[in-house]
Amino acid sequence: MWSAIDIYCRLISIRIRAQLQYRISFLLDLVAAAFATATGFGTLALVLQRFDNIAGWTLGEVAFLYGMVETAFGIMDLFFSGFDPDTFGPMVQRGRFDQLLLRPVSITLQVLGSDIALRRLSRITQGIIVLGIALALVNIRWTPAKVAYLPLVLVSLIAFFGGLFIIGSTTTFWTVKRVEAINIFTYGGSEMMAYPMHIYTKWMRHFFTYIIPAIFLNYYPALYFLDKPDPLHMPSFAPFLSPVAGFGMLAAALAFWRFGIRHYTSTGT
Amino acid sequence: MRLFYELLKLSFRLQLTYRTANLAGLATNFFFGLLRAAVLVALYGTSHEVAGFSLPDAITYTGLSQATIACLSFFGWWEVMHSVYSGDVASDLLKPMNYFTFWLAQDLGRAVASLLVRGLTIMVAYALVFDIALPHSGWQWLAVGMALTLSLLVSFSYRFLINLAAFWTPDARGVGRFAFSLSWFLSGFLMPLRFFPNWFVRLCNLTPFPSMVNTVVEVYLGALTGSELIQALGTQLLWIGLLFVVCQLVLRAGVRKLVIQGG
Repeated sequence: MWSAIDIYCRLISIRIRAQLQYRISFLLDLVAAAFATATGFGTLALVLQRFDNIAGWTLGEVAFLYGMVETAFGIMDLFFSGFDPDTFGPMVQRGRFDQLLLRPVSITLQVLGSDIALRRLSRITQGIIVLGIALALVNIRWTPAKVAYLPLVLVSLIAFFGGLFIIGSTTTFWTVKRVEAINIFTYGGSEMMAYPMHIYTKWMRHFFTYIIPAIFLNYYPALYFLDKPDPLHMPSFAPFLSPVAGFGMLAAALAFWRFGIRHYTSTGT
Repeated sequence: MRLFYELLKLSFRLQLTYRTANLAGLATNFFFGLLRAAVLVALYGTSHEVAGFSLPDAITYTGLSQATIACLSFFGWWEVMHSVYSGDVASDLLKPMNYFTFWLAQDLGRAVASLLVRGLTIMVAYALVFDIALPHSGWQWLAVGMALTLSLLVSFSYRFLINLAAFWTPDARGVGRFAFSLSWFLSGFLMPLRFFPNWFVRLCNLTPFPSMVNTVVEVYLGALTGSELIQALGTQLLWIGLLFVVCQLVLRAGVRKLVIQGG
């Protein structure tokens, strides 16, 4: 166990040092990433001046959804960079994954340690800022239960998104080339979860409830934190399913990942 | 001219070769289109018209903006940058053609293929799911065609200019990412510019970005007619001219500085 942590830390520290080599480029990357993510929320805030609310949700309430998703996705994206289908795909394509399989260290650990995209720090920062805006605009009636549940929801969201990344990467074992359609679940899923889910058409909502349980990770917990009524009439424990959905997704993804590795045939490069 | 046409044809065919990639891209663009349409429906709520756009107009807008992503390479285009880093730029510069024109030919081929395979299909898919707005007359279709062609030229010149940063720094990705995200925000790609506060629209209009997406959308939806239409197309032309000159100047300075690594 300790040796695993030690190896992970070493792998990661190499990645960090590598990225800090070109300092100006790194800083620009950071600024660019911050700007790119900030424009999403900025657009919503500007447009809401004209529209006032979105399906009964005020800017502050949507900011809560948005901030939670952005923070969680950013943290996940940082630590699961190695599982980002965008970087993992080429690894399979060029046969670099074969090298990892030869080493006597857990393969999952090695992939986790193969990259840590520091520019994601700006997405995390932006998420936290948006969450701060939400807390300033909305008067949440805090109870001890809510205070305890908030970090749990955040961690569940991270596990959920991490699971999606792992599933996306595992599919490249068969497709070799990264499948752009994976973005529907990762980036599409996170984009979708940044808005109140009752605005979507029924089949879309059902898909993200029963096939991919995204609705329990952000929308339902938000209803609980913001004391809003449930327009979809789910059972009253629905807001508390986020850890089950989040860690369930991660566990399913890891099982799929192990299945993928057992059936992995190299590209031969 | 013949060389230009051949290059265009080749890159047109190259783009059509990647069938699965095109299909996957299509599915992604369409899904995001549905998400964005749902957001607009929710924003409209009970109102029928906002800033001159009806709800069908707004939904059509989400289709149009998703349809132009591939055609305008809106999420990133790094071809020139790659050729500088791989050293291919050395032989490309020796070709009997201006470097800008060389890439323009290839980009036009790619764009036309993308427009057919990804742009038109998205609009057809939209027409199946939603009640979308269509231009009313042949003249309006012609205007849409002109606005789209001009927007492609504005977009290409801008992308080419960004890529030239590779002549100066060994890792120009950061500059590129920043430049691209700027264009998402200010072009009317995230939301129609009419929905923004006036001061923001005025700011956008000082940049070439509205000429990339917003003009096409407004012409398509019939929001611009008569002198306004002429003015919008004229603005696009103006930006093309300006960006072209800047590209040539920067290119000249870049070539003088260029160091080919390895070979």
